[in-house]
Amino acid sequence: MGNLSWLHYLSYISFLVFIFGILTKVIKYVRMPIHLRWELYPIPHEKKDGSYFEEIDWWKKPRRKHYLNQIVFMAQEILFIRALYHHNRKMWYASFPFHFGLYLVIAWLALLVGGALLKIFGVVGGVAEALQSVAVVVGVTGMILGTIGCVGLLIMRATTSDLKGYTAPTDYFNILFILAVLASGIIAWGSADPHFSVVQEYIRGLITFSAAVTPSKTIAWYITLFSLFLIYLPFTHMTHFFMKYFMWDKVRFEDEPNLRGSIIESKIAKVLNYTQNWSAPHIQAGTKWSETASKGVK
Amino acid sequence: MKENKLTLKDISKPSGQLAELNPEEFMKLPCPYDTPESQPSLKPLTDAVREKYECDLDGYMAIKIPRPKSKEEEEQLVHKFLDGLRKLLSKENNWTFLMPLTLSLEYCAKCQTCSDACPIYVSSGKKEIYRPTFRAEALRRIVNKYIRKKGKFSLKMTGNEIELNWKTVARLAELAYRCTLCRRCAQTCPIGVDNGLITHELRKLFSQELGIAPEEIHAKGSVQHLQKGSSTGMIQQAFADTLEFLEDDIEERIGRRITIPIDKKGAEILLIHNAGEYLSWPENPSAFAIIFDAAGIDYTLSSEGVGYDAVNYGLWYDDVQLARVALRHAQIAKDLGVKKIVVGECGHAHKAISVIADRIFTGELNIPRESCMPILEDIVVNEKIKLDPSKNDFPVTLHDPCNMVRLMGVVDPQRRILRKIAPQFREMEPHGVENYCCGGGSGFAIMPSLNFPDWRSSVSARMKFKQILEAFQDLIDPSIKKMVCAPCSNCKGAIRDLLAYYNAWEKTGIAYTGLVEIIVNAMVDIKKPYIEWPDM
Repeated sequence: MGNLSWLHYLSYISFLVFIFGILTKVIKYVRMPIHLRWELYPIPHEKKDGSYFEEIDWWKKPRRKHYLNQIVFMAQEILFIRALYHHNRKMWYASFPFHFGLYLVIAWLALLVGGALLKIFGVVGGVAEALQSVAVVVGVTGMILGTIGCVGLLIMRATTSDLKGYTAPTDYFNILFILAVLASGIIAWGSADPHFSVVQEYIRGLITFSAAVTPSKTIAWYITLFSLFLIYLPFTHMTHFFMKYFMWDKVRFEDEPNLRGSIIESKIAKVLNYTQNWSAPHIQAGTKWSETASKGVK
Repeated sequence: MKENKLTLKDISKPSGQLAELNPEEFMKLPCPYDTPESQPSLKPLTDAVREKYECDLDGYMAIKIPRPKSKEEEEQLVHKFLDGLRKLLSKENNWTFLMPLTLSLEYCAKCQTCSDACPIYVSSGKKEIYRPTFRAEALRRIVNKYIRKKGKFSLKMTGNEIELNWKTVARLAELAYRCTLCRRCAQTCPIGVDNGLITHELRKLFSQELGIAPEEIHAKGSVQHLQKGSSTGMIQQAFADTLEFLEDDIEERIGRRITIPIDKKGAEILLIHNAGEYLSWPENPSAFAIIFDAAGIDYTLSSEGVGYDAVNYGLWYDDVQLARVALRHAQIAKDLGVKKIVVGECGHAHKAISVIADRIFTGELNIPRESCMPILEDIVVNEKIKLDPSKNDFPVTLHDPCNMVRLMGVVDPQRRILRKIAPQFREMEPHGVENYCCGGGSGFAIMPSLNFPDWRSSVSARMKFKQILEAFQDLIDPSIKKMVCAPCSNCKGAIRDLLAYYNAWEKTGIAYTGLVEIIVNAMVDIKKPYIEWPDM
């Protein structure tokens, strides 16, 4: 590990901070108490638009959840930003290339990591070369699409009256930051690393804790910006890319009924023991939820 | 009023209304309401009211916040608001909605996709204060500045500069009642942010911490419900008298007497109606009695206080009141030993007891709850009573109550019923889970004070009126009688007021009713028409 450069250390730190930041957010939400139901239809794991409430004695019937429908729905939502396509087409023209470009960049990274692992395990030739070629196409396409999306979003936010009043300096900064990362990637590809072989070697070095290659200045700039962005990302609202799980699966699609003797019922018994302190005259502050809620029960 | 320059910071302006409504800017309506002179005028607040209460939002008033008399009172209002906000973000005080609220506060991308989904924003001519993100973003900025106490630089960079003074608090309180909680906005959000929920939580903060809520919903609503037995003020004896009247009325209408079962221990079903039906539309509970009797359904009503009124206004503004009413309903069902609770034609009561209160019931109080729609569908579609669709040979369109459809997923049974018994049934657009609110949602239908009804009929219900007119546009001649079926008591009330506001029966021949009335109207055994048109 002795020959590792500051760039390697920055890459490791950024990776660790990214994981730490994401885990902190996930844990924060996982540890939140059970909440009241607040579902919103259509729910793709239910019947077409409706719910089990459309059936007589629904609680006596086996629950049929169409998980595949939900996966397909969410895949369309995440990959193609379906809601924006249907309800805000103008913004979709910028948002779709932006997001899809970023997904391709993530796929590109995965391909490079895959290629690096193949090298580590001594697999060379056909498969490794094919992977490398695919990585070039995917990476360059992703970076170009993402750049187009960034420019589109910047123009929209700066010129559309609906958006301007609600756009904060950080919103511009976030897009500019991503634009800088993507643009530096394009420059690195065009000027110094047409097959991304240097970046892949750099990744191999990171995996094996050795300085397999010393990147040129242009590539070093790209890696630095990318690393800094990884450090920044978990502390912004851009983490919505994985918080969607909570927002959709745990709120919007959460229609699990509270049946007698269920785990849900035991969780409810626990939260009803919380002490509330609301001050309005009709609520007795300092009482348990179960006590104040039972006030109307004879 | 230079309204096009209104920004979020203006919510803290020391004086002056934030918006001035002008009917000429409202969303256009179809024929015969497509001319300026066909628009009813809006009633302004009197000077006396303006002097007494805070009304610097849009000149309309849903809640009456007295103007503070001293600097101390102003500060106290702000102080209490912040206390409430802290409680809203703590798990002990707000376990009920902590996760959904935190998610919606932290992840909005401010893309404004939700704006065009909001019928109030669109109907008003896109007034900035009604934009779904306006109040949500104001609250978000207050949270970031005053609760999470971000530094000056961070506040500037994140755009969270906002002043919190008593005007901000008062305007937010009123603004919380310019959204019907229909949650169409949430349906369109690519991230999953729910501005309807933020409005709901804001209402809760005001009620649970400051004791501020519209009196029709709180003092005369859920409090009266728990104390007297019904939000209508109907006491037990009055309910007993009403049932006797219903039995007489049924006998007169169908030529035979039906005994409406009451407090029948061990019945299969406890049926609960919105008590507003008994007073405003007694033909609705009567129709249920006729249908259930004909189909041989084993059910009972309850004469216990709260047990004869399905409403649960807490759903709109107060979790504690919601829980109290729901638990009382469950207790009554348990004492009667019924197998399940079935809710009549009342959308918010459906959602309150079936969906939202689902996670407050434990043990013996966790009694199954069901919508009336599947039972009615079973009776009609499986021909458990004899029906003749030709008796309903008039154009009918269906209104989807938000609470029953978008927020609970009861979408198709009512459609299958109408397709079976109403040959001229036609959908309005959009319908089903994408429907528009009647404009009376979240309590607006029962808030008749001052000039609020004008705002409701001309702004929040405008989109519904447009939908109804468009559904019948090819038959708009008033000589052709047309029917809007609204299987929800509050929606029915809002539509009744809406049609009256625009004099729609005289101008277009459009009337309204519930679903069971149309079913009974088609019953072969009943000779006289059950539906009474306004000119009868």
